[in-house]
Amino acid sequence: MTAAPLPALDEQLVVTPQHAAEVPWRTVVWNDPVNLMSYVAWVFRRHFGLDEATAEQRMMQVHTDGRAILAEGNREQMERHVEAMHEYGLWATLERVER
Amino acid sequence: MRGFQPHGEGYQAVLEPYEARVLLSLAEQLQQLLSDGLGGNPAADEALHRVLPDAYRNDDEAAREWRELSRRGLIERKSSFAATMTTGLATIAAGDSPAPLQLSEGEAIDWMRAIGDLRLILADRLGIVVDGDEGGDDPPEAADLYRWLAWIQDDLVRALDGRR
Repeated sequence: MTAAPLPALDEQLVVTPQHAAEVPWRTVVWNDPVNLMSYVAWVFRRHFGLDEATAEQRMMQVHTDGRAILAEGNREQMERHVEAMHEYGLWATLERVER
Repeated sequence: MRGFQPHGEGYQAVLEPYEARVLLSLAEQLQQLLSDGLGGNPAADEALHRVLPDAYRNDDEAAREWRELSRRGLIERKSSFAATMTTGLATIAAGDSPAPLQLSEGEAIDWMRAIGDLRLILADRLGIVVDGDEGGDDPPEAADLYRWLAWIQDDLVRALDGRR
């Protein structure tokens, strides 16, 4: 991603624990060199309903780690998230949660 | 063009006719490319690969199935986002003096999405592959457009955030 400088992030703001046994699929958003950081964070807030700090944290995770998990759930739900991300021009995939 | 400002229930920016003509042309080219992609044109498919990425990695069969189910709908919706741009720009592009462009929130979001798709396509032409790539200057106008579209998209994010 690319863009303007960002405020410092609170590393504590990692999302709620997931129950892997009940949620076998997840939505992953991948880094790309094109989408603006401001836009990616906005999409995370808009689509996933994240608060501003969490959206920024996820966006920075995509930027620095190359990917971030945005949702977990059943396969149909994750396909809908991935399709929505593609509508926004973000590079997203779904994958099975490893046990 | 100066930035979008809250106006009524939506957002407004004043565009020069030549700016509207450039954006109109880009949005029309995007619509054409999406339409060609729907028709299975291989060159269009190649140009659209960043706009319509695979939903599965390391699973060609699942990726193919998903494409068959989702690709048409995605292309149609992306085409409708581009159409929101062309509709709003036509009058200003045909005029000879700066004129206001008024967008509802939904239209502003369509603009953000269509501009994002245009940047993905331009990035491909400019050889922007990893973070930090500035892109070549071939063609030079593509590099300028790429940066200008980033400015507009960032401006729309700022305008929509201002309303929260």
